Amino acid sequence: MTTVLGYAFQWSVIRPAIGELWHGLGITLELSGLSLVLSLALGLFVALCRLSPVRLLRGAAYVYVQVFRALSLYIYVLWIYFGIAGAVGINFSPVTAGVLALTVLNSAYMAEIYRSALGAVDPGQREAATSLGFGRIRGFSTVIFPQAVRIAVPSLVNQFVDIVKDSSIIAIIGTADLFGVTNRLVSYYRAPFELYTLVAFFYLTIVLAVSALAAVLEKRLRRHLLL
Amino acid sequence: MLAYSYHWQPVLDRSHALIVGAWVDVWVTLISFVLACILGIAIALLRVSGLRVFAWPAFAYVQLIRGVPLLVFLYWVYFGVAVLLGVNFTATQAAIIALTVTGSAYTAEIFRAGIGGVDVGNVEAATALGFTRRAAFRHVVFPQAFRIALPPLGNVLIGMLKGATLISVIGVVDMVFVAQQINLDYFTPFEPFTAVALLLIVLVAFFSALLTILERALRLP
Repeated sequence: MTTVLGYAFQWSVIRPAIGELWHGLGITLELSGLSLVLSLALGLFVALCRLSPVRLLRGAAYVYVQVFRALSLYIYVLWIYFGIAGAVGINFSPVTAGVLALTVLNSAYMAEIYRSALGAVDPGQREAATSLGFGRIRGFSTVIFPQAVRIAVPSLVNQFVDIVKDSSIIAIIGTADLFGVTNRLVSYYRAPFELYTLVAFFYLTIVLAVSALAAVLEKRLRRHLLL
Repeated sequence: MLAYSYHWQPVLDRSHALIVGAWVDVWVTLISFVLACILGIAIALLRVSGLRVFAWPAFAYVQLIRGVPLLVFLYWVYFGVAVLLGVNFTATQAAIIALTVTGSAYTAEIFRAGIGGVDVGNVEAATALGFTRRAAFRHVVFPQAFRIALPPLGNVLIGMLKGATLISVIGVVDMVFVAQQINLDYFTPFEPFTAVALLLIVLVAFFSALLTILERALRLP
């Protein structure tokens, strides 16, 4: 036991806490991984709608992006988990409600990321694809989209980092993710400073690891690209 | 819809409390934003100081703070640091501290980019005109850097406003707190949370409009 400023640190809680947090880490990664995949797909769909020649689709996608970007995750979680559940009579589990909230919010941001990335691909590429006899769909999927993804990767990674950090909010409705586990440990061991510091380092480590992986990925993706 | 019957009356009855709660979110955000800007400028200056002893800790600060969720910070300050230092922060103080610290990591990066975005020729010109380093920064570099930084700073402000909706978890009586109270008293979850969502949309739209006006007013000819 070390004493600083009259405070007796309870370092002994760290060891058992790490074991528990390990389980929480699994749930956090599951929540954020699932939300990432879903919002990547939904975001792409919304971005394509925003660029579609059909006016109605464009309008709907615009409204989607504006509405879902306007709110904070916590409001979504409360609204979906308590509000919608009460009004429609569906009982979402905390994990489902959390993934839904993370997905609608982040898909709106990702739609914007995709849209600007698609806009950043030189129009000459499309013309070249057309002149080589590629159809609209094949031209998009084999020429335009792969380049747009490379441009979008850094922003998408930032978005993923936000998803991981925001996923802590879902603990408020009762998931056993990193932060949920920490809260339980705090009420058990009564060592808030040690445990909240510990969980902060867990999040920090995930974020740094994701950024490091992203740097490697970016380098690989940009090998063939003249930008 | 289905078996649920809507009861907007409780929300209307407590609309005053909701608006007061929204105001709490707004002023907590504004105070934290101003403090985060001041702290952010200080950290940005350390980073561009050219001295490793200053630049490195500032870099570490930014990386560290940006890696930790706001919610964890709120609990860390309110429950953790409070027992460590033996200080009892009020919930509002803890909220302002947590929002300021998280915000400062973002504003620091923005100011750094803003300062870096000012043409070096400006400093050279100022020096040639006899400005000291400090005067050149204050009168030549900073006013331009601030204009470059303004749009991303606006995004941070709006991000902080959204972050402020979390402060009810440590007991600040903001609009979300009031909405939860309404839900607990009347078992009508949908209405109060919808009301809060609408309030937040209005606030975000208001601040975005304000920032656009400010950007236009400050734009250089």
